Amino acid sequence: MGMYHFLSVGIILFSIGLVGFLIRNNVIVLLLSVELMLNAVNLIFVVFSRYLHGGSAGQIYVFIIMTIAAAEVAVGLAIIVSLYRRFKTLDAQKINLLKG
Amino acid sequence: MIEHILFWLLAFLLIMSALGVIVMTSTVNSVMCLLVAMLALAGLYVILGTHVVALFQIIIYVGAVLVLFLFVIMLLNLKERAQILTLRPFTCGAGICILGLVSLIAWLFRYAATNIPLIQDTLAVTPVQNIQELALELFGKHLLVFELTSVLLLVAAVGAVLITKK
Repeated sequence: MGMYHFLSVGIILFSIGLVGFLIRNNVIVLLLSVELMLNAVNLIFVVFSRYLHGGSAGQIYVFIIMTIAAAEVAVGLAIIVSLYRRFKTLDAQKINLLKG
Repeated sequence: MIEHILFWLLAFLLIMSALGVIVMTSTVNSVMCLLVAMLALAGLYVILGTHVVALFQIIIYVGAVLVLFLFVIMLLNLKERAQILTLRPFTCGAGICILGLVSLIAWLFRYAATNIPLIQDTLAVTPVQNIQELALELFGKHLLVFELTSVLLLVAAVGAVLITKK
């Protein structure tokens, strides 16, 4: 099982997350798509550290990315809660104060 | 041999559940699909030999992040069904750009991997599995990054409280 198998899984996962980010309107699903993309990046980090580098630096980076993802989710969900209080909806199409 | 079967099973499960995340109309179902995806990804990490990452994947994502998502969904008591697809010109253009970008990245990976020598003998470079070695590395060479991450977590916690305060 070569590096390309894992790399292709990572790239497919990243593209699914990106497509989800573009086609969905629900703010929570947008955050979930970002999570998918972060996980794809994590997978690719681990694969490269396994097959190209061989050290432990890739795993350390993955830990830090996971921490940052957790922090991002905390702030993002706080923003979602206050958005819902303000607009009574989570549809990104209906939150359009900037459109005038 | 069992490794191959396990890899294909987990990859299939991962991609199917990732697709489920973006096509489900109910947000709770999306989060549940993401849970399956995270578990499959943890399995892939185990196949890669990085057991500590798999453990942290389960603890952090399944144990903390997804529970937080479910908690917020429960808190908001969402009634509306999410709309899946809105085809605007912006979406189509962006989608085409993204496809080009992703194929460019894939090509770059291929190019880089043909020029950088792959480590063929995978047994020679079994990744660092020992949690003690990882901890020494994390608290030694990467100490500054670790401390900065702790500051980031503090900022995120305070920020989340401030944002949700009325």
